[in-house]
Amino acid sequence: MAFLLHSPLCLLIAQLVVIIVTARLLGLAARKIHQPLVIAEVVAGILLGPSLLGLVAPDVEAALFPAASLGILGMLSQVGLILFMFLVGLEMDLGLLRGRGHTSVLISHTSIVVPFALGAVLALYIHPTLMPEGVAFSSFTLFMGAAMSITAFPVLARILTERRLLRTKVGAVTITCAAVDDVTAWCILAFVVSIVRATALTEAIVTTVLAVAYTLGMLLLVRPFLARVAARGTGREGLTQNIVAVTFVLLFLSAWATELIGIHALFGAFLMGAIIPREGGFARVLAEKLEDIVVIVLLPTFFALSGLRTQIGLLNTPEAWIQCALIIAVACLGKFGGSYVAARWTGLGWRESTALGILMNTRGLMELIVLNIGLELGVISPTLFTMMVLMALVTTFMTTPILQVVYPPELLAADVIDPPQPDTRVTLPEGFSVLMCVAFDRSGPGMAQIAGALVGKQTASDRLYGLQLHRPAERTSTLLEDEHSPESPGALEPLLARSRDHGLNVRPMSFVSGEPARDICSVAEVKDVDLILLGWHKTLFGQALLGGTVHDVMKDARADVAVLVSRDLTAVRRVLVPFCGAPHDELAVRLARRMAFAVGAEVTILRIRFRNADAPRVDAFLAGMAADKVTVVEAVDDGNKAVDLVVKAALGQDLVVLGAAPLSPDQIMTRCPTSFLVVHHHERAQPAQRRPRPLTEPQADAVAHG
Amino acid sequence: MHFGATLRLLRVDAGVSLRALAQKIGVSSAYLSRVENGHDQAPTPDRLMAIARALDLPPTLLIDLAQRVSPFVARYLEDVPSASYLFLEIARRKLSAAQLARVHAFLEAEFPARGATAGPATPRLHELLAPERVILKLSCSYLGDAIDVAAVRLANAAPGLSAAAIAAEIRERERESPTGVGHGVAVPHALGASVQPVAALVTLARPLPVATPDDIPLQMLLVLVGGGRSPLELLARAARLATPATVADLCQASTPEAALGRVRHVESEFG
Repeated sequence: MAFLLHSPLCLLIAQLVVIIVTARLLGLAARKIHQPLVIAEVVAGILLGPSLLGLVAPDVEAALFPAASLGILGMLSQVGLILFMFLVGLEMDLGLLRGRGHTSVLISHTSIVVPFALGAVLALYIHPTLMPEGVAFSSFTLFMGAAMSITAFPVLARILTERRLLRTKVGAVTITCAAVDDVTAWCILAFVVSIVRATALTEAIVTTVLAVAYTLGMLLLVRPFLARVAARGTGREGLTQNIVAVTFVLLFLSAWATELIGIHALFGAFLMGAIIPREGGFARVLAEKLEDIVVIVLLPTFFALSGLRTQIGLLNTPEAWIQCALIIAVACLGKFGGSYVAARWTGLGWRESTALGILMNTRGLMELIVLNIGLELGVISPTLFTMMVLMALVTTFMTTPILQVVYPPELLAADVIDPPQPDTRVTLPEGFSVLMCVAFDRSGPGMAQIAGALVGKQTASDRLYGLQLHRPAERTSTLLEDEHSPESPGALEPLLARSRDHGLNVRPMSFVSGEPARDICSVAEVKDVDLILLGWHKTLFGQALLGGTVHDVMKDARADVAVLVSRDLTAVRRVLVPFCGAPHDELAVRLARRMAFAVGAEVTILRIRFRNADAPRVDAFLAGMAADKVTVVEAVDDGNKAVDLVVKAALGQDLVVLGAAPLSPDQIMTRCPTSFLVVHHHERAQPAQRRPRPLTEPQADAVAHG
Repeated sequence: MHFGATLRLLRVDAGVSLRALAQKIGVSSAYLSRVENGHDQAPTPDRLMAIARALDLPPTLLIDLAQRVSPFVARYLEDVPSASYLFLEIARRKLSAAQLARVHAFLEAEFPARGATAGPATPRLHELLAPERVILKLSCSYLGDAIDVAAVRLANAAPGLSAAAIAAEIRERERESPTGVGHGVAVPHALGASVQPVAALVTLARPLPVATPDDIPLQMLLVLVGGGRSPLELLARAARLATPATVADLCQASTPEAALGRVRHVESEFG
């Protein structure tokens, strides 16, 4: 055996092989019993450690994992963890934390406070036996509290996705709560780490101040910078290696900074991941590039290392096992009990509350990460570490079976269809068609979002077209470009990708055009669409919103026109419609109402009363538009303050649907950070008389190509 | 080009049934059907002349399409055997189309044809096209979309017709019987004597997987509207573009002008 492992590199490679193979094999077994992969990986680590391999074949263990080699393995696993936390941050959409209402806030806070408190109480009881010497009692208590309140966001997200729970109400609430929980718990942990490391009070204060300053710097300086990088990087060639390199350098700098400050390097990685812009697929591509190597190669080394540190043999007395059981019980009671009670309090049924509680109770590998930090800091003893690892294992293990009992798949199926998609479509005029004109790939996803919100669940009579017009000059300029163009649909691709995510069928078209405005109008006419959707981007000269091609299309098109100004539009949940009574405003209200029916958006109509307005007509129109999700707010325009009223009301909205006149979109847009849909109404001469649908192609399987 | 498919296209647009045409030229309808489906060779020059008469087409056009030797030429060679030596020389030198054009020009200059060509000839294809009606590297998933885009450009050149109306007509005709003529070319059209003929050329960035007579996916469309007095002749001329070399050239053209030049070239090759 020894000759196979004669050099450190040989040893490391052999270790990697053994670790990965064991983890994968156990993973197959875990699949069989419907357990998440994490369980298998943690168990694999424990099996390779002193708990089993060390017990059965001490020689093999000593040869394979000699104490001297653990340093290298440790470093590798630390790098793996940094990358993994970065991935977790990437997956954590901070948008989830915004505007999810009272329910999530209450549940998530309760599910932190209760386990934290219980953990602290538990610390009181166990500190005589399990607290290492030389550790301040306060540090020990704080750490136990933090360790108890961790929720495994990644494991949770995976369980929810696998069981198709994400689109249920429980799933939505849970994932939000878990996100809030994780962010909060990590902040607490960062604080705890800084307290433990600090030798004096002043040092702790300095650390805290630095940490806050660092966080602000990341949010206010690095984030906008990254947004620019992302906007530039998602061109035709996608993510260039230079941009990936820049991102990694920033990631490692961030991790370094947090380590220097005295909170852990992992926080820097996590924060970096969380602030990567989501728009334009930057985060998605980055995650895809990174995920395999991290999850398959690097992460198992971390588990193996945790396993090597887990010595079940240390629990050699009945008292120890009783304490271990107590820890598990307190952990479940705190997390499960806390979330369950809070969920019942907010009005969820017992079934939903139980499901939510059990999901939040999943500790998974996040707990393991926390525990390893604790062990390295010396704030917990190896015995307590082992107990806590067992606790993490048990809580993760019990999630799936209990969920199965509480929430059987049949029930689930019924749940998915009902609440998230209120099927009030019956009241919608059937059949809506949109022509989406994409000039740059950045505008694609936003457009798909809007189309999805307008159409909801696409039926056979809803038609969506994606149109991209190339400038002729582009084509003749270089030979190289011509070679590429036939394969790459170019700017349409992000639109199509996002549409597929939403289950929408978009028919792509692209061709060379010297007169885009004219061709857009003609295609809209020949396709007989209800709405032309245009993108907006800053022009080189001047800032006017409705100029150039947009202006020409509005003037000439025989269909309604909407211009999307997307500012990270990732969901259409809350929509504001300023309403002054103009025809364009009426169109805005109709479109927003469509969104309310199609995807359950909450629509607020801000009715601005002018002194000379045609009030009875407007009243009648608004009465006709009344619906569940549509609320009308009155405002009086005293003087020339309409713009101010709109800007104020737009706070917290996802989207403002605005008529092209009489309010000035330019003025409002520059003062509001939300996304805009500026709509222009076209008087149809004869509204009826629809042409028959396209004849020469199948309609049912009209799947968009490419 | 797929001769059978082209023949069927012309026959359908002439409004003659398979049986009626077979009777007129004195063959069985089973044989004619086999020809149209490509299971039998193109008919003999004499039968082609008969078909041309029945469909009211210039005989040489059909013979060109079938790549047969014209009876005129055959008869001339019988009368003046030494002429065959000249053809042999040309064949041995493998003269290209451009070189043949020069020989042709020499003939014109030296021996002007007696009796100028009769009447107002049907317009050449490149005269019906214009740069703004050449759509290059269109990318779409359905033939219908391509037709719609072509209709948009055609409507600009056809006063009084809306793009929607044109597209509807063309789609209707396409649905009756597909207009693929082989080698990745289709000639969707809406013929009508009252409308001045216009054409649009569409090359596709990605071939369309639609049913074609020779199973080569669609790469190029020549869309015709109107037709004046001899619409069938225009269709036959359009079918002449369906050779591998021409299709490849047109699909690689990166400017409308280049594509037009190529069409003009094909037209001139056949005199």
